[in-house]
Amino acid sequence: MKKKLLSRLGQSLIALLGVALLLFLMLRVVPGNPAAVMMGEHGDNAAIARMTAELGLDQPILTQFFRYIGDCFTGNFGTSYSLSKPVAELMGGAFLNTLWLALAAALFAWILGIACGVIAAVRKNGILDHLFMGVSLMGVSIPVFLTAMILQYFIAFRLHWLPIAGMDGWKSFILPAIALGWNSAGSVARLVRSTLLDILQEDYIDTARAKGRSQLGVLVFHALRNAMLPVVTMMALQLSGLLSGAVITETMFSINGIGRLAVQAISGRDIPLLQGTVLFSTAVVILGNLGADLLYTVLDPRIRKGGGPQ
Amino acid sequence: MKNRQKELAELHQRRLEDGNGPVSAFRADLFRMFRKNRAAALSVLVILLLILAAVFAPVLTPYSYDDMDLGNRLSPPSAAHLLGTDEGGRDILTRLLYGARISLLIGVVPTVVSILIGAALGTIAGWRGGITDTVIMRLADIVLAFPSMLLAMVIMFTLGDGLVNVFLTLALLNWAAVARVVRAETLRLKNTEYIEAARAIGVSGPVMLLRHILPNCLPTLIVLFTLNVPAAILTESSLSFLGMGIQPPSASWGLMVNAGKNYLYSAPWICAAPGLIIMVAVLAFNFLGDGLRDALDPHQKNR
Amino acid sequence: MKRFFAVLICLCLLGSCAAAAGAEDGLLRTAVKYDITTMDVAKTSDDYLIPMNVFDRLFETRLVNGNPSVEKSLCTDYTVSADGLTYDFTIRGGVVFSNGSALTASDVQYTFERLLKINKQNTDIAVEVSGSDKVLKGEAETLSGFTVKDDTHFSVTLTEPNAGFPAELSSPAMSIVDRETMSAGFGTVPAETIGSGPYVVKEWAVNDHYTLEYNSKYWGTAPSVKKLIVSVVADDSVQNMKFLSGELDMIDLQNQDSAIVASTYKMDPKYSSRIVSTRKVGMYFLALNNTSGALSNTKVRRAVAMAVDVDDLIRNLYNGDAIRETGAIPTGIWGHNADLKPVAFDPEGAKALLKEAGYSEGQIRFEIALDSSVPSTVANMCYAVSSRLKAVGIAAEVKTYEHAAWLEKRSSGTMECFVARWGMDYNDPANILYTFFGTEEKTRQRSINYQDKDIIARVAKARAIVDDSARLAEYRALENKLIGEDMAWVPLLQDMHLYCLGDRVESFTPHWAGFADFYAADVVLKK
Repeated sequence: MKKKLLSRLGQSLIALLGVALLLFLMLRVVPGNPAAVMMGEHGDNAAIARMTAELGLDQPILTQFFRYIGDCFTGNFGTSYSLSKPVAELMGGAFLNTLWLALAAALFAWILGIACGVIAAVRKNGILDHLFMGVSLMGVSIPVFLTAMILQYFIAFRLHWLPIAGMDGWKSFILPAIALGWNSAGSVARLVRSTLLDILQEDYIDTARAKGRSQLGVLVFHALRNAMLPVVTMMALQLSGLLSGAVITETMFSINGIGRLAVQAISGRDIPLLQGTVLFSTAVVILGNLGADLLYTVLDPRIRKGGGPQ
Repeated sequence: MKNRQKELAELHQRRLEDGNGPVSAFRADLFRMFRKNRAAALSVLVILLLILAAVFAPVLTPYSYDDMDLGNRLSPPSAAHLLGTDEGGRDILTRLLYGARISLLIGVVPTVVSILIGAALGTIAGWRGGITDTVIMRLADIVLAFPSMLLAMVIMFTLGDGLVNVFLTLALLNWAAVARVVRAETLRLKNTEYIEAARAIGVSGPVMLLRHILPNCLPTLIVLFTLNVPAAILTESSLSFLGMGIQPPSASWGLMVNAGKNYLYSAPWICAAPGLIIMVAVLAFNFLGDGLRDALDPHQKNR
Repeated sequence: MKRFFAVLICLCLLGSCAAAAGAEDGLLRTAVKYDITTMDVAKTSDDYLIPMNVFDRLFETRLVNGNPSVEKSLCTDYTVSADGLTYDFTIRGGVVFSNGSALTASDVQYTFERLLKINKQNTDIAVEVSGSDKVLKGEAETLSGFTVKDDTHFSVTLTEPNAGFPAELSSPAMSIVDRETMSAGFGTVPAETIGSGPYVVKEWAVNDHYTLEYNSKYWGTAPSVKKLIVSVVADDSVQNMKFLSGELDMIDLQNQDSAIVASTYKMDPKYSSRIVSTRKVGMYFLALNNTSGALSNTKVRRAVAMAVDVDDLIRNLYNGDAIRETGAIPTGIWGHNADLKPVAFDPEGAKALLKEAGYSEGQIRFEIALDSSVPSTVANMCYAVSSRLKAVGIAAEVKTYEHAAWLEKRSSGTMECFVARWGMDYNDPANILYTFFGTEEKTRQRSINYQDKDIIARVAKARAIVDDSARLAEYRALENKLIGEDMAWVPLLQDMHLYCLGDRVESFTPHWAGFADFYAADVVLKK
């Protein structure tokens, strides 16, 4: 058990280092000199050369990489070219917004997803089942930007119910959370339904029924509790995905989060910022996956006892 | 021991002769699915229609997809332009049809490439085990650790815009998940009697992979394919939406939505049609993929 | 499920009540597409809104009766020596920065030296002062050409005469900063970004918004706008929706497609009377690389000019909100020649000219390089030009480059053809002519590669002609040669900068050159 945990931790660390190296190398072969972009229309070649030297971009790649990794350990991710601020500071502020958005979206997705999944399972092959499953498949199929546009246009602009974009208090997070959570809600609903259906066929449910438990009691106390294992694991994975930055949602709703920073970094050819945001998001995902694994281990009695499937 | 080997060899021979292998069972499953699952059947029809539209685009429309008509910008749907015109006076329906070519290619080409790479690496990793397995799977871990949209953005940023680069990006993005699934499948198959039988009669490694392991992975791969095509279309549309994919005047559905988003208030038709088409196409592939999985994957039956 | 939706709808309604609350008095809300990168003008030549509103300059260029005029600001009087080299300035006494520190001649000197020491952007005016080379190289701490006489008097000696010097000093680049309280957080921390202008920076939430508030210590008249909130809204349609639903008081329409502006604002009676437009002093031109293949042939360049239908671009791409440009000195700039005849749209004539130059149909092919970051209208201009050129047998294909790659290619001098824009920084022809034709290096870096060395030398020298009429005559002669004879580039148009005002705004005077940045004091709110 302990050994397994350690090896899992090691794997995560290796993945993170691999990500850092891969990312660094990829971003060094990008054509175009960031210094020239920073100088804009007014930069003459001498000024650009000066700026290039100042940013250390004229040094060998390996020197740059080791310096970067070393700096990362001290929490220094460099200075953003396009926003002229320390990347760590920018990401700190942005992550808080991403965190709120992710939590709101996850809450929306889980409540809606579990509710729909349970109802669909109980009414298997009924109208509600087909309706919910159709809608949830649509949730998985509809591009996020389309949901966002539709919500923005009708709910915010036409009906004036909520702000169109920006970060003006908690109200501004409702529409983005729905746009973002819609997708995850679909997956949760489908998983809850299929897990529940499997469990409802098992013997102990029949035993519970035979013991005279009510339909609802059976559902909540036996079936749902057991169905939660894969669902909770999926939710943990989803949360880490959401936390890694919702590129499109944040951009469309002008929420200053990690994803939007990454988009800005790309349009401004801001390599330190791009490197920082992607590395950070990836670290979040890796940690999230690790967390999901641990959660699975803790929740699944078979694994806890050391047996069961790998 | 000798006896056991002989027994297995006979079993293997019989299976091959009976035609009772995985492929024919798969065909039967497929047939049953289409009869039972109307949504999947309808999806096949939709997909076929989209393919036909893409192939016959030049015949279906009198307009060109990239010629500007500045006097005719943002005109609403009319008899001349069934779905209206865009910001350059180009016919939306025409661009939608030509866009189907690019968007479907984007769905299929990188998915095929990623499945080929993933299947090759996955079977090798599963079959060889040891250090090969570790190296391949750690590489896959690294790729999977990246949030996919961000990784796609970084790769596009590195490679630059353009169709071929979109293909490459999507292929690089998806091979790892395929490799993981195929490896697991290979590990499972490796211990079945069927493979043991083949091994007993001295079938060599490469032949084993090509003739026995891969065909057995086929149902899984087909399901993966149908589910990865819509994912690729969605990823490309998101990339194009952010202005990082195909460049105008070429048309892809995502690019059309991106171009139209600034005209949402005054000319919603520019966005609406391609947005809807993306949804329909993705939905069709997802329904089909779901249906196929139900039909082919024994673990998922009854779901 | 039902209950869930009921809760959701309640939340939405709750939100809508709060959203409907009105804006406070004296508040102006606008939006920009991208956040600023710094508040320090020594480090940017893009973001002037804070320099313009939080700082003062010796002079200001403002629109007076629709024409740009250089007005005295901190400077109350000045004299020029006979040789045009030395300026004696007198500045306003009693002016204080927003932290109470006095603004003196020594602060002006510090401003000049600081620009040279930082040496990032906006050094081009300070380098004209004698002794600037030593400060640039770090060999001297102070500018030898700058003499402080007392708190309100100083003199500046230039290395060569420049009649446009006062106009240049009105550029936001020359915003006066405080020597005594300068700190490391200047330009990034609002509280440390101290100026003497009508506003102070209250808050800067990176990537979201920044807020300016009236500076009660300001020496001039109090503006109508007491608080300015500038939000960062990247998406045009979101900006439109925010403005139309009253969440913004003013919208900048410059990046939007004219067709949207027309259908959303011009044709709507509610908004049509609230559109404010001003010339964006500067011009678009089709840059042709004078040394690249067939384009090195003057006849081919002239044929290109004849093949492009500029009036069609103005009519359909700009919805009429643009003026045709015919030379190298844009409309609205001192020295502009209104009598210069445009090249007539004549595809047949262009074909004949190409034949005369010895080229058959389809033989000439080049690439029109498009920067992917430009507004859609400029991209459409490239496609339209490409279509017109194809019609006369020139295979000019548009190729899109990512911004950095585009810049790099252009700076290497190898770009063949592209649509370029130059916005004027100050009201003098040198600003555009010297930038593109001043030295061989400059013309190469702009991928124009103009070849006549005598003309290049004359462009450089023209800046030093003290007598205005003689300078004007020289610039006109140069313009005639560069464009009229050599067709070094194809002049296209000067577009208008459109704004739409919301319910709460009475009037607005935009920046004289049509910059997106404006003086908040030039906005008058309704009572």
